[in-house]
Amino acid sequence: MNLNATLLGQMIAFGLFVWFCWKFVWPPLLSAMEERAEKIEQGLKDSEESAKKIIKAQEEADSMVKSAKSEAKKVLDNAKQQADKIVEDAKNKANEEKDRIVSSAQAEIDKEVVNAKKSLEKDFAVNVMAAVKKIVSKEVSSTDHDDTIKESLNDFRK
Amino acid sequence: MASESSGRTFQEYLAHHLQNLVYGPLPEGHERKFYAKGDTAAEKDSYCQDKGMDYDGSKYCKETLAEDGWYLANNKTDVEAMGFWALNIDTLFFSILLGSIFVFLFARAAKNFSLEKPTKLQCFIEMMIDFINGVVKGTFKAAKNTLIAPMALTIFFWVLLMNVMDLVPVDLIPYPAELLGVPYLKVVPTTDLNLTAALALSVFVLYLIFSIKSKGFIGFIKSISLHPFGPWMLPANLFIEIIDLIAKPLSLALRLYGNLYAGEMIFLLIAGMVSINLAELTLTGIGLNLAGIALSLIWAIFHILIVVLQAFIFMMLTVVYMNMAHEKFEQH
Repeated sequence: MNLNATLLGQMIAFGLFVWFCWKFVWPPLLSAMEERAEKIEQGLKDSEESAKKIIKAQEEADSMVKSAKSEAKKVLDNAKQQADKIVEDAKNKANEEKDRIVSSAQAEIDKEVVNAKKSLEKDFAVNVMAAVKKIVSKEVSSTDHDDTIKESLNDFRK
Repeated sequence: MASESSGRTFQEYLAHHLQNLVYGPLPEGHERKFYAKGDTAAEKDSYCQDKGMDYDGSKYCKETLAEDGWYLANNKTDVEAMGFWALNIDTLFFSILLGSIFVFLFARAAKNFSLEKPTKLQCFIEMMIDFINGVVKGTFKAAKNTLIAPMALTIFFWVLLMNVMDLVPVDLIPYPAELLGVPYLKVVPTTDLNLTAALALSVFVLYLIFSIKSKGFIGFIKSISLHPFGPWMLPANLFIEIIDLIAKPLSLALRLYGNLYAGEMIFLLIAGMVSINLAELTLTGIGLNLAGIALSLIWAIFHILIVVLQAFIFMMLTVVYMNMAHEKFEQH
């Protein structure tokens, strides 16, 4: 309990410990802790910013999708219209072709009919003439009766 | 484990545990006494003769020193004969050991500091640094001084570690040490007034240095002479301020010492209730043993509070005093 030189020894020891703490313990620990605090703060700020960026990007993407959709619709409509037009054109063309073919066929038929009639007329006249020749060769010359035959032929034609 | 195990009376046991291991100079012709082991006078006599000493007829072997020299003190008379230039080996050893443990732990944490992957030790140390930093920032506002916070940290941890030694059972270290030939051993450095006074004096020296540095020497003299009553009451001012000044280190030293010494004393008194002499154990003895064990547990739990509180108070007051030292002198 008496005070003795231990007092001095302890004062020296205390001084050394405090000095050591002051030089080698406190500053590195505190600065490291402050550095981390800064890092955490920066990290929080960054994450907030990136959250904002994400929202912005989402909005951008949404608007892009929207515009793309409308564009696609436009293109589709156009295509439909074009297709309709093509179909319509094709129909019209086909109809025209049909009409043309039908009318040309009709003309052919008419021509055939006229030809047939003509050849029939001719054959008939020849046959009739032959027959009439046979009948009347003895009595009348063919020249005398040509007019009569022509007359009758004209009647027949009517 | 109490008095009877070492053949001492309870008073001797107490005195033994409250005595430091002192190493100091003894003059030529000084008579040293050693405790003589043995049950009968004859046994004690032969024990003394084995050691090359005379038997004094009752309890001790005695030896008269033929020359001056440094010795380990064996009793109070030795300590008194040594005077001021003696060292309390146990106090120095344990305090420096504990201080080194503290410094080592913190320095290692500082060296291996990892921002991304803190170890548990680092987390604890960061918590402590944060705590001390908060206290210092909240209390020390008068000026900027980078020494205050590390000093507060050192005081808190060093004192805490030394106080915690009080929770080590009172005989756990001294008894084996005695068997190994160490006559006295006080394991709680803060129960030695030398240590607490050394801390308080160091703080006081810093207080004076920082006071004079911030107020100037004239300012410092003014602050203790023109306060609190004005220049016409200078002697009264001086009287009051000087008492106030001296009270600072005195209260610091005595508060810590008193608390820990008393705590240790109560542990010793409780230890005195417990006996390991099983052969002579009576019913009352068993009751006393159980009561002693229970009491020492209760006191230890309560002491955890005191141990931390006293370390904190010492640190806190140091910071407060440092703040006062840095305040500028103001004329009231």
